[in-house]
Amino acid sequence: MIRALRQLAVVLGLALLPALVSGAIQLQWNAATPESRDEVTLATVHNWGNHVLWVDARTRSKYDKAHIPGAILLNEDEWNSLVSAFLDAWDPNVPVVVYCDGGSCDASHAVTERLRTELKIEKVHVLKGGWEVWPGK
Amino acid sequence: MAGKIIVFLIRLGVAVVFLYAGVLKIWDFHRGHSATPDFNLAIQHFKLSLPPDLTLLIAVYLPWLELTAAITLFVRRLALGAATAAAGMTTVFLIALASAWHRGLDISCGCFGKDEVSTNYPTLLTRDALLLAAALVLVVAEARRSGRRSAAPNP
Repeated sequence: MIRALRQLAVVLGLALLPALVSGAIQLQWNAATPESRDEVTLATVHNWGNHVLWVDARTRSKYDKAHIPGAILLNEDEWNSLVSAFLDAWDPNVPVVVYCDGGSCDASHAVTERLRTELKIEKVHVLKGGWEVWPGK
Repeated sequence: MAGKIIVFLIRLGVAVVFLYAGVLKIWDFHRGHSATPDFNLAIQHFKLSLPPDLTLLIAVYLPWLELTAAITLFVRRLALGAATAAAGMTTVFLIALASAWHRGLDISCGCFGKDEVSTNYPTLLTRDALLLAAALVLVVAEARRSGRRSAAPNP
């Protein structure tokens, strides 16, 4: 028993060194890639404890296929019919994070702009990298 | 002799599973970047009420522990500890999966990096139960071998 625990401690310690190096490198990498004013990274959303309202700005067919759990569909094509469902789910104290396909898609920025200008919502951000960075999709 | 071969094959199987799982949680080969944020999020999806900083620490450390356990399973002086670590990690995975299933969470387990589909709980629990059984076989085998080595008279 004692031998097992002693060996276990060594194994746990051996894993600590590369983990520390890996963690330090990733912290540096994150610091070197700042977010723009509108954009937030997935890591930032994690740091908020994932307490956000996700808005899916993609098409309905893509939303129906898969989306971030709890996300509300709100795209420009169906804005008028979808905006009431968004307002029902919206909580002024919870930041809104909008995403589209990722890469060079503009839908999330367009929806974010409309939320700001038409609905006067201030706590609204775009997910950097969009749906592409979401794990488990 | 047959017993030794069986134990070696079990050791190899457990090591391959942990090596594969660890590597995929460290690096996303498909996208060419770190897989830590994805694994961090996968842990948070289990809704275990852990502070975000703690889940991040787990996301950074656990894959390296899996890798280290996989490699040290073949280091004679550390094999018992590695098998114990493998059994311990698998037990934690089992509890987390069972808890998520019980709470009706529709999530991907993050067991091998990014999963393409939502978790199939019966399959995953069966797989982890088999992995735990294999790790426990190694713990017993290594404990016996260590016991024999300590009991052997010094020349």
